[in-house]
Amino acid sequence: MLEFLIPNNIICHAVEAMLFASIACSVLGVIITQMSISSIGFTMTHAAFAGASVGIFFGVSGTATAILASLIIAAILGPLSEKARMPTDTILGVLFGMMMAIAIFFVSYMQYLGTAVNASALLFGNVVSLYREEIYALAGISFVAILFVAIFAKEITAIIFNRKIAEAAGIRVRPIYYALLFMIAISVSLSLNIIGGLLLYVWLVTPAAIAYQFCTTVRGLFLSAPLIAGSVSVAGAWFGLQHSLPVGPLTAVAFSGLFLIAVLISPKRRVPKGA
Amino acid sequence: MTPGTIDLAGVSTAYEGSDLPVIRGISFSVAAGEFVVVGGPNGAGKTTLLETINGMLPITHGRATVCGLDVAASGTGVRTKVGYVIQNFAFDPLAPFTVGNVVIMGRYGILGYGRQPGEEDHRMAEEAMRLLGIEDLADRSIGKLSGGQQQKVLIAHNLAKKPEILLLDEPFSNLDLFTRSFVCDILTGIADAGCTVVMVSHAFDALPDREVRILAMKDGMLSLDARCRGDEVEEKIRNLSGSVHA
Ligand SMILES: Nc1ncnc2c1ncn2[C@@H]1O[C@H](COP(=O)(O)OP(=O)(O)O)[C@@H](O)[C@H]1O
Ligand SMILES: [Mg+2]
Repeated sequence: MLEFLIPNNIICHAVEAMLFASIACSVLGVIITQMSISSIGFTMTHAAFAGASVGIFFGVSGTATAILASLIIAAILGPLSEKARMPTDTILGVLFGMMMAIAIFFVSYMQYLGTAVNASALLFGNVVSLYREEIYALAGISFVAILFVAIFAKEITAIIFNRKIAEAAGIRVRPIYYALLFMIAISVSLSLNIIGGLLLYVWLVTPAAIAYQFCTTVRGLFLSAPLIAGSVSVAGAWFGLQHSLPVGPLTAVAFSGLFLIAVLISPKRRVPKGA
Repeated sequence: MTPGTIDLAGVSTAYEGSDLPVIRGISFSVAAGEFVVVGGPNGAGKTTLLETINGMLPITHGRATVCGLDVAASGTGVRTKVGYVIQNFAFDPLAPFTVGNVVIMGRYGILGYGRQPGEEDHRMAEEAMRLLGIEDLADRSIGKLSGGQQQKVLIAHNLAKKPEILLLDEPFSNLDLFTRSFVCDILTGIADAGCTVVMVSHAFDALPDREVRILAMKDGMLSLDARCRGDEVEEKIRNLSGSVHA
């Protein structure tokens, strides 16, 4: 899609993939972090990781099994998180460990069998050998995520403010919530091959966390999180490929560094002089 | 339709995972414009009662009809007509919401999916803020206000939707004595205008100068249902606790 800007085909596809993956994940990430359910996002990304490794091992589409696995996790965790008190800490811990174990079991086994070409991409991501369809699918889910936020802006704003108050106001919270979980499942599963299962949640959490340090409106969060995520990811893909560095980890480190700087210079944390 | 009425017939409500219902076989009817004060010890089921009335908790037995709607079947519909000022709230001081944002949210449920607030909605939000005396705070961050100011914002949020019934869960616990009587006057005003008010309260020192209905709860059941003037409530409740033969 961006061939007119970037003549090198490999770099162009990598930049496109990183751009769309980061937009989808960061837009949904704003909702996740603001609702304080990032642990659910975290567990879902690892479920996608486990699902994909099982799928690849059995020779079926890794993306489809990834979506399936993260949807199953969403179906387990969604209802639990609806309770006013959320005693899910232990459950999340157990599920997370289980997902990680399944993923690593199959990845290690595939490495042992010598069929580990795709498996290492699952761990660390791979921006070089992408299918065109993957990029189109990522562009599609980014578009859907943005559309979702635009159409349900007022409901999402109220739910982010306080889910119980939103529900008491007569807002239909549940359909929005399950649509959100569904889109997370698709977004993380499609992003998995590019970013890698070990780092995926960085895209879900960190851009939104950086934006939160500066934004005083919900609108600002939804505009700046994808802007930050997109520009850092594009720069990471570009720079990494030019210098033969692993793109996913490089970009993740850049995000984390940016977050630290953001916390340090955040106007929200400034103490007035003379106080 | 019967705006502003509450009718509970043998209602029990249980939380998921607990064996016993928290409120058990409660029956009473409230007419439009009544001012109801719900009292009783901690854990008696007062909050559970309010959330049963507005359909946020599942009813396991009996039937609740609120504003003419069956609560179990049309909870969302009930909640667009019933305001509910929750008891425990804690807002992040950095949260990206102004007082104005929060008050207009009160109208989002009525608007439904896909419709944006218009001039009329903003006018009602402003009216509610003026009534509570918080119009000066409209652009302030809600997380940085005092507990009492936040309480007023939540009341304004609920009044913005012009509810037929207003439920309040211990609204006075964050308020000083002066503000209590200020808020109580507002509640009296809206009850006189025909909006049913159901308020859970431990503080009986700032009750309205009009007839109120007292519902006292104990162990998930009603232990008293009486009418009296606001300034007699404290005495009634004291007599009640003196006569417990448990
Ligand atoms: N989410 C919940 N899950 C299970 N039990 C609950 C929950 N919330 C309240 N309870 C129980 O229900 C009873 C009544 O609680 P509540 O209605 O909050 O009382 P009150 O508001 O009168 O203090 C208490 O025994 C409390 O432990
Ligand atoms: Mg209570």
